[in-house]
Amino acid sequence: MTSHAEYHKDYQGAKIGMWLFLFSELILFGGLFIAYSAFRLRYPHEFHEASGELNAALGVANTVVLLTSSLTMALSISALQQARKRHASAFLSATIGLGALFLVNKFFEWSAKIHHGLYPGSAHLMEREPGQRLFFGLYYSMTGLHGLHVVAGVTLLSIMLVLLVRDRITPDDFVKLENSGLYWHLVDVIWIFLLPLFYLAA
Amino acid sequence: MSAASAAKPYFEEGRRGFLGWVTSTDHKRIAILYLVSMVTFFLVAVALGVLMRIEQLTMGQTIMKPTTYNALFTLHGVIMIFLFVLPGLPAVFGNFFLPILIGARDVAFPRLNLLSWYFFLAGALIAVASLFTGGGPPDTGWTFYVPYSVKTGTNVTLAVFGAFVLGFSSILTGLNFVTTIHRLRAPGMTWFRMPLFPWSLYATGWVQILATPIVGITLVLLILERLFHVGIFDPAIGGDPVLYQHLFWIYSHPAVYIMILPAMGAISEIIPTFAHRAIFGYGAIAMSSMAIAGLGSLVWAHHMFTSGLSDFSVLVFSLLTFLVAVPSAIKVFNWVATLYRGSIELTAAMLYALSFIFLFCIGGLTGLFNGALAVNVHIHDTYFIVGHFHYVMFGGTGFAFFAALHYWFPKMTGRTFSERFAKISWAPLFFGFNVLYFGMLVLGAQGMPRRYYDHLPQFHTGHVVITVGSWFLSLGVLMMFGNLLYAAFRGGRAEANPWGGVTLEWTLPSPPPAENFETVPTITAPPYQFNPESAP
Amino acid sequence: MFFGGASDVSGRVDAVFLYIAALTAAFLVFITALMIYFVVKYSRKRNPNPADIRSHAWLEVTWTAIPLVLFLSMFYYGWTNYHYMRSVPRDAMVVKVTGRQWAWSFSYPNGKGTSELVLAVRRPVKLEFTSPDVVHGFYIPAFRVKQDVVPGQTNWTWFTPEKEGVYDIECTVICGVSHSYMLSKVHVVPEERFKAWYFSDAVEPPAETAEAASGGPLAGDPDRGRLVYAGKACATCHTLDGARLVGPSWKGLYGSRETVVTDGKERPVTVDDTYIARSIRAPGADVVKGYPPAMVLPHSLDDQEVADVVAFLKTLK
Repeated sequence: MTSHAEYHKDYQGAKIGMWLFLFSELILFGGLFIAYSAFRLRYPHEFHEASGELNAALGVANTVVLLTSSLTMALSISALQQARKRHASAFLSATIGLGALFLVNKFFEWSAKIHHGLYPGSAHLMEREPGQRLFFGLYYSMTGLHGLHVVAGVTLLSIMLVLLVRDRITPDDFVKLENSGLYWHLVDVIWIFLLPLFYLAA
Repeated sequence: MSAASAAKPYFEEGRRGFLGWVTSTDHKRIAILYLVSMVTFFLVAVALGVLMRIEQLTMGQTIMKPTTYNALFTLHGVIMIFLFVLPGLPAVFGNFFLPILIGARDVAFPRLNLLSWYFFLAGALIAVASLFTGGGPPDTGWTFYVPYSVKTGTNVTLAVFGAFVLGFSSILTGLNFVTTIHRLRAPGMTWFRMPLFPWSLYATGWVQILATPIVGITLVLLILERLFHVGIFDPAIGGDPVLYQHLFWIYSHPAVYIMILPAMGAISEIIPTFAHRAIFGYGAIAMSSMAIAGLGSLVWAHHMFTSGLSDFSVLVFSLLTFLVAVPSAIKVFNWVATLYRGSIELTAAMLYALSFIFLFCIGGLTGLFNGALAVNVHIHDTYFIVGHFHYVMFGGTGFAFFAALHYWFPKMTGRTFSERFAKISWAPLFFGFNVLYFGMLVLGAQGMPRRYYDHLPQFHTGHVVITVGSWFLSLGVLMMFGNLLYAAFRGGRAEANPWGGVTLEWTLPSPPPAENFETVPTITAPPYQFNPESAP
Repeated sequence: MFFGGASDVSGRVDAVFLYIAALTAAFLVFITALMIYFVVKYSRKRNPNPADIRSHAWLEVTWTAIPLVLFLSMFYYGWTNYHYMRSVPRDAMVVKVTGRQWAWSFSYPNGKGTSELVLAVRRPVKLEFTSPDVVHGFYIPAFRVKQDVVPGQTNWTWFTPEKEGVYDIECTVICGVSHSYMLSKVHVVPEERFKAWYFSDAVEPPAETAEAASGGPLAGDPDRGRLVYAGKACATCHTLDGARLVGPSWKGLYGSRETVVTDGKERPVTVDDTYIARSIRAPGADVVKGYPPAMVLPHSLDDQEVADVVAFLKTLK
């Protein structure tokens, strides 16, 4: 299928395809944002109270981690464009590391909540107001889905790192890395929305 | 590519045998993979439908228990919607002909295209697995309304996960087509020199990309609800079952347009070819596709008029519903106007295409009853709705699929089929169809609710009549596919251009070579030039 | 119209229905006739040289504008009548309706609770719906009213029954295995009879309402009777060809003289309308000699269905 090769090199096409995919990802979260808005309008005070129980400091810390990782991602791409492969792989590794750090933080945050009996269907939560139950239901659904995206992103970037090291991604042919970067920025942007909705609503 | 190898049919190029088929990234081979898998699913779902009709032949139990019946209508719906009607035209004819019609050698992402088919197959297998595992086949209807879908012991979780995977397949196909149309049009093929089938696929692609994720997340939430009792749809926890209906229809109504737009596009190819003249109102048809895609995204709540919505939302959604009917009417007028002073050959493909117009008109017009507020209250959730959407989905998309299959069959297989037998099989199909589904409209207006295992005595005669109709219908379906199946292996050699068509696929040999075009064509005029000297 | 409407709402719904039906039928006939005419007139044989007409701006405008206006008229007509259906009169009697898997129950303002709905003719009623389990749909086809019954919220509808009689209530949202048996009846009776019933202890609906409504004995229909025979499991025990099963065959039964056992004593009876009705309503009361008192009714029969069975029996000579 050598003749198809010329189409694989269509940078513009690859980027259009990626953007379309990102649209559909945004709308996937859009469904959850609709549910969140509907219930927040119905239970404003209970959302406010429940939000106070989340660890805002940890949320902000994780935001800093993700924002930094977006920066290193961008630096990695621009380093590669300037043919500085070692810098590019270093920045990419840093991005992967920060993504992993985010997940570790998330793990401790969830564990603490579950340890306190705050998880969907728990006896402790069922004693609370309906709005608080829904807040935590949405909290786990939305940060969980976002967490899955971080896992997917870290996996994707690790593959890119391997390709970069093996010279399958080069300064002349780096659309894969660029698209992976776009995906990573999307993961970051979604978190920027999640932070105020859950941690800063109190 | 040497000239000699370029003349080889696409299915003799590259790897042969089963492995060759399931590993090829050639858009034409992938189209055939879809065709074979979809027709199989279609026939299974037809059989399920016939069993349901037999159950309604008498009051009380005829051949099955209520649990079986409830599983049957759920499966019939899930298979027909997710495995045939929704992906049907784009995945089969879109894959095969979109690149050819715009003068490209393949879609933008050939490997992603093959991946879409694997997702399709995986989703289908997961859905099938749900029948034999857990609490047995789901019994909720294809809409999976909460809280019943959360409370039922049947295997909703796996079936819904299958639908989620199928959604992924649909998004990837839509993304692929939109990119293909943006990037791979042949030199000179401007937007308004594109034939109408690609236009309709373009509109469809956007709806697939932007609407499918909503149902994706809705189904994920349903699974979370079943597994972890998150509470978003559960009134006992504080959630809202009507929110599920909103989210479900925000996707599933646009999905109706994913189903019908490519059908309209295919019809817009077939009618000019057999009328041997340019399509009337090219611009109006192309733009009405986009209008349908846009307006169609804003009418979802007309599925929920009796669910307790506010009077204001009911008012707005009813108004928008009537507005979305306008572009469909425009298309019908333009198709009929294309016949005016044409030179019409009533081939089998044309017969199916004209039947599409008639049946789609009934489907669309009965939609006006549903959209009208006072009437909607009476006919909502009755056989009237079932009759209406079968006129649109089966009479519309299904018949367009049949028309396209007959139209492009010689190109896809390089074989000819018996025109005579194709027309003979049309008769029981068309007759049975109308007996069955018009009968449903009448029963519904009399008050027969849908998804009923048993019926009250006043509906009995109607049920017997439409069951007999379903036998004619299925006979016609079997005859039609039998004819084509026979032709695929034993038919005569097809010419390059058996119908006298003027779009790009007819410039290629039948079947086309793997590369489609030896040299990519340069386009200098709008499509449908049957009469070049009078062209503008 | 031919679907037998029986409330104030039904007249309005049917009017909109007929308006749309007339317009759409005209449209369908026009399009189909035009299509067939073109296919014949401009066939390959008759017209070998096609014209090349690409578009016509005014034609496009016309066939956009005319449907738009017609569609908007349908919308408006539908909306005004829907508006009526959402405007409850102040004096409407409120009945609380609960839909659960798989039965309806009705609760009246004075605390009376029933499984079938009893209403006074020409008196507006507002129904308020709740569900303790899953979504159901409350539907009275003859009244053209329907409302989803959603757990966690109270939906409502209202109407004024205008004709005395007995009408079906059906569930319209799939709610599980017995969805199609989640049925009930609404009995519409004169105001005085309603009052008498309402202030009595009776939870059963007032008897022979349908008979009273039609002003005499119900006319039975043998064809419908045959369907009742097939559909309500009569055929399990009674044959039509003279053969003996659990119960006596129905062949030649009507008008014959039989010996029955009543309270342990034998007595002769003639099989007539009254006897058959009594045998269905109270199967153990007069059992034909030589047969076990085994009759059970898996489905209840209303007065109309009993009359239909009688009519059917009369045809079995």
